[in-house]
Amino acid sequence: MHDISSAESVRHWLERAGHHDAPPEVQQHRLTVLAEFCRQFGRDPDELVAYCFLRKRDSGQRFCSVKRREEINRALDAFAAEQGWTGKEAVVNANIVRSYLIHNGVPIQGSVWTGS
Amino acid sequence: MEFKKVVGDRRTIRYYDPSRPVEPEKVQVMLEAANRSSRAVNADFVKAIVCFRDELSEDVRQRLKTPTTTVQLDLAPVVIFWYGDLTFASGAQQRLKELVDLGALPVTHGWSHAYVDDVAYAQVVEPMSKDQLASTWAVSVECGLAIAQAMLAGVDEGLGVGLHAFESTAAKEVLGIPDHWLPMWILLVGYPAEDPKGGGQRPRRPLADNFYEGRYGQPWQEIPEVTERLKREGMIQEPMDAERRLAEVSKLADRFGLPT
Repeated sequence: MHDISSAESVRHWLERAGHHDAPPEVQQHRLTVLAEFCRQFGRDPDELVAYCFLRKRDSGQRFCSVKRREEINRALDAFAAEQGWTGKEAVVNANIVRSYLIHNGVPIQGSVWTGS
Repeated sequence: MEFKKVVGDRRTIRYYDPSRPVEPEKVQVMLEAANRSSRAVNADFVKAIVCFRDELSEDVRQRLKTPTTTVQLDLAPVVIFWYGDLTFASGAQQRLKELVDLGALPVTHGWSHAYVDDVAYAQVVEPMSKDQLASTWAVSVECGLAIAQAMLAGVDEGLGVGLHAFESTAAKEVLGIPDHWLPMWILLVGYPAEDPKGGGQRPRRPLADNFYEGRYGQPWQEIPEVTERLKREGMIQEPMDAERRLAEVSKLADRFGLPT
């Protein structure tokens, strides 16, 4: 699997989220989930962040696309299903990718675990 | 609960207990509080649709979600969609005359049926209702008053509340909103899954930064004894403690599987 940990956006995420303090296996799991989703989505991590933004035709101002975030949410749902994740595991793992996006300036919400 | 404590206790709650339903009786208290708010020309500016999350179809719930409202809509058992009615001038003449007859608009202050017909309605209310900027301003201010009372009533009933923007196009369609209703806010309602005090009061600037006496630039001079009394009575409370709050957010994220 392609090592994504050197990507600037990934380093930024790990630092801002304080994930460096997590046990090595947890850190590795997070990186694996992100890398696998990126592979499936056909973009590397930096490109995934960039994909969420568009520029207004008239002013050139950058904005975060609702449609692209919705597309990523749908892709995350499909990804979780393909991985065989269910219940809280599916929610938590999909939110690993959302955590990465949030810390890189993409406001995105998805699933919530409300079960017991 | 004592009024000052209600004001002091209110927070924007972001984590609700999804499995603890809100009693319709408490929602009615909130609606009545909105209904009792101060309002110009005694008009019904504010409108609301109360949605109990578990009574909405899965399709409707999905359509109301956006990439930044999903968590709130999944957690809050009740969502109140607030709107402002741009037809507020309709019936204003009759309502004003009723207030004249009741003495709420008293003759001592120059009120009469003739004044309502010739001035108050014809020269103020009706022209304002036809001016988009002025009517949007009026409706927004009046709705704010009503919504604030509903929020405080919710806190008084032991509930958590939080105002948010919403996807008004989808809401208009799924809730059957008429064209003359202007979207305001959604008010999420539920029992807090977080500390109801949200880790402390949010930072506020001193009164002198925003309030003046006599003229602009002459700050309101705080009376220290009053400030101290408001602390004792709960309107002014301990400020947020970031370390404690972030630890709580981390626990809540773990409980609900949310990103950190």
